[in-house]
Amino acid sequence: MRPLERVRRTRRTLAAAIAVRAALWGVCTAFIVGAIGIVMTRRAEASTAAVWALAAVAALGVLVQLLAAWRRLTVPRVALWIEERVPRLEYALVTAVDPVGSDALVSAALNERIAAISWQSETRRAVLRAVARPTVAALAALVALLIAQRVDVAAARRPSNASVSTTSTAIRDAPAPFARLVAVVRTPAYAGGRVVRVESPASVAALVGSTIALEAPGSGDGIAADLGGASVPVRRAGDTWQASVTMGQRPALLRLRHPSGERIIALEPKPDSIPTVRLGAPARDTVMRVARGAISLSAETHDDLGLVNGGFEYIVSSGEGESFKFRSGTLGARSFGGATSGALGASLSLDQLALKPGDLVHLRAVARDGNTVTGPGVGASETRVLRVARTGEYDSVAVEGAAPPEADKSLISQRMLIILTEALEKRRPRLTRETLVSESRSIGRDQTRLRRRVGDIIFQRLGDDPTGEHGHGPGEEPAADTAPLRGDSVARDSSRRAAVRAGRSARDVAAADSADSARAALLRAASAATGSGEEILDFEGDETPVVAINRPLLEAYNAMWEASRELDQGETGRALPPMRRALEAIQRARQAERIYLRGKAPAVVVDLARIRLTGKETGSPSVRVARSPADPAAARRAERLAAAIELASRTPAAAIDSLVLLRIESLDAAPSLAAAVADAIEALRGGNDATALLARARRVAEGGVRRGAVGAWSGAW
Amino acid sequence: MVSEFVFATAQYESGDWDSAPLVPANLIDSVARYTSLAVAPTGAIVALASDGLFRFPLVFLTGHLPVRFTEAERTNLRRYADRGGMLFVDDHNHDIDGAFHKTAVEELGRAIGPLAQLPNTHALYSAFFKFPDGPPNTSHELNGWGDNLVHSHLLAAMRGDRVVVLYSNKDYSSEWGYHPDNKRFLSIDNTKFGVNVIVYALTR
Repeated sequence: MRPLERVRRTRRTLAAAIAVRAALWGVCTAFIVGAIGIVMTRRAEASTAAVWALAAVAALGVLVQLLAAWRRLTVPRVALWIEERVPRLEYALVTAVDPVGSDALVSAALNERIAAISWQSETRRAVLRAVARPTVAALAALVALLIAQRVDVAAARRPSNASVSTTSTAIRDAPAPFARLVAVVRTPAYAGGRVVRVESPASVAALVGSTIALEAPGSGDGIAADLGGASVPVRRAGDTWQASVTMGQRPALLRLRHPSGERIIALEPKPDSIPTVRLGAPARDTVMRVARGAISLSAETHDDLGLVNGGFEYIVSSGEGESFKFRSGTLGARSFGGATSGALGASLSLDQLALKPGDLVHLRAVARDGNTVTGPGVGASETRVLRVARTGEYDSVAVEGAAPPEADKSLISQRMLIILTEALEKRRPRLTRETLVSESRSIGRDQTRLRRRVGDIIFQRLGDDPTGEHGHGPGEEPAADTAPLRGDSVARDSSRRAAVRAGRSARDVAAADSADSARAALLRAASAATGSGEEILDFEGDETPVVAINRPLLEAYNAMWEASRELDQGETGRALPPMRRALEAIQRARQAERIYLRGKAPAVVVDLARIRLTGKETGSPSVRVARSPADPAAARRAERLAAAIELASRTPAAAIDSLVLLRIESLDAAPSLAAAVADAIEALRGGNDATALLARARRVAEGGVRRGAVGAWSGAW
Repeated sequence: MVSEFVFATAQYESGDWDSAPLVPANLIDSVARYTSLAVAPTGAIVALASDGLFRFPLVFLTGHLPVRFTEAERTNLRRYADRGGMLFVDDHNHDIDGAFHKTAVEELGRAIGPLAQLPNTHALYSAFFKFPDGPPNTSHELNGWGDNLVHSHLLAAMRGDRVVVLYSNKDYSSEWGYHPDNKRFLSIDNTKFGVNVIVYALTR
């Protein structure tokens, strides 16, 4: 191997030694910083994450600083370093690697001389010297770190007035393995991984997903732990034992058992609140005449731990009746980066949404937190509705439209009546007269109902009471029904209107006359249309629009009347021709211009007396179960509290355990009782008089509204 | 004292709460036809945010449009459920991933609690008439309208063993939305399940 290559190999060895030394010093620095930081931060109950970050930075600094020595590792310097440690070279190596070079003869002589000398042992020694010291230092720093941690545990074991729930009672009564129990609670990472220590805990309240490590001095032999019936492993860590659990979403009891006794610890989950969002703009629902321009949106949001992102959501609903289409989207999305509060802003372009009259925009602001355990929690603001007015809406905004015709009323159609009559006519030879008349009259009643409806429509168009044709009760045949519409009924009608005239103004009288005139013309037209009137009128020339519209229906009306009369007598064959004429007239009426009157749907009043228990099918009511009291568990809780109070005077420790159990079961269902019981537990643990607090807890437990075993609406059954 | 059952329709701020005006009369008619329950001849309309809500053991809520409860409506509804009331919600829109369904389920979850499938063996299905296969299908489902699904279950939110929210994707609002007098033209009365809902609400 040539001298230059040998020098380069030595340079690589030295570079590696520098790197190892730098790394060891870096580790050493990190351990020392960590040890100091742990002691300081644990005393302040602060997070250790910052300590380790600081240690990493310090280690990196040391590493960078020491690696700077690499810059000095040039070939001439390394050659000199070797010459310094191997004098026998007599500068042959430096001369051989000199970049200026020498002639071939000299080089050959130098190479021959250098080849005979080795400097590996010097290099090895130098490397060992370089890493030995930092290795020792790093080990020492590690020891210091471990000591710092142990010092910290020892400090925690000392009685402290600052502990969260330690009480002398608990310590005095606790079995020996649990006497110096400590709960180390670490919140979930999204909540910052904050560590809180609770000494001699009776209960631990923490965020869902928090890690709870229970530890105490001792080997842990004979200790068993279970959480809600599920076994929890107990590990030994040095001269302490440890049991770790994760806070669930429901309150639970952690039991620590040992032959010398038992310890109960209540785990109380604290749910992460979802973000609160308040929509500032738009401030209220709006109806827009024209959907143009842009609307400014703003909202504020807040979260207890930290927000991740938020924005505005909208849903555009288009359509009416049974046909709707929806579009949705978001806008103004932004990230909050863990801030606990923030503002949202955006602009909603109505032009881009291309809203049409009648469209609705549901708009709200939402925000999400960083909950990775049970979340993310999503908070939403109130929803604002923007509506685009329909065409013509403003023209009739103050007018309550008339009710639509009651087209839904159940009537057998004229076509169906004809089919029924034809079927009956076919069966006629096989039926007795009595049966025939009975069935024929049944069809006739339906024909009469349908005729009334036609009459209603005609009279409605005249401006009269839609039920003016027959002001009678169900089943009654009105006077007007006894005959078809004829001209002679005009006289009766005019008489009635004459009575109206009395006491009315001239204008009213003129209006009544006008209506009389239209009505008279209409009734005469009815007679003429069916050919039964004495006076045949020619409508082709000057008939009024009302008559023109109603003429086919008038024909149908009178044909139906005729059919009803025949059906009532059981003459189905004679009834069919007028029935068919009526159908044909109705078909012609369909061709006429339709008039739709919009408005509120008529209120349907069910005739209960008529239909009561007429259903063809019979249900079988299931065996009725008396409704349980509103909260049967409340009574049980009150009983258990009373028992615990009894126990408190004799064995306070047992009473405390009972109260802890009661509290954990009340947290969800009766939070006020849980709070009252917690106060009593604290007093008992402190050895104080808990009488008043227990009495208050009992009032809370028994203070609920009591109700009977039968539901409020049971009387109807 | 015998109290009269009044069928109530919920009025809420958003959406078209009055999209099925004939359903109340139809169910009142059915209750009278099949049971001896004392029932008012007309339905009532009650605002979700009003104290009047607590006068009704059963409240019917329907609509096509997105459901966004106000805070007052949400709070009142939660109290209503806690105090023994029952809310019967039907998706009148019945559309694929429809706005009513998404928003109503979200709002009910926030107000009362998450909805879960109600087992088809639940007492509701035998409270009066027997429905061994669970909720009866509607013509809208069978015709493939809306979301093209024949939903096998209803959803429900419970308080203990009691249904406090009964949620239907089956569009009973359309199925029952006809004048009660037209019931005589049906070979099978399709409102019988409505009787079960009412009887269950009154007796459990």
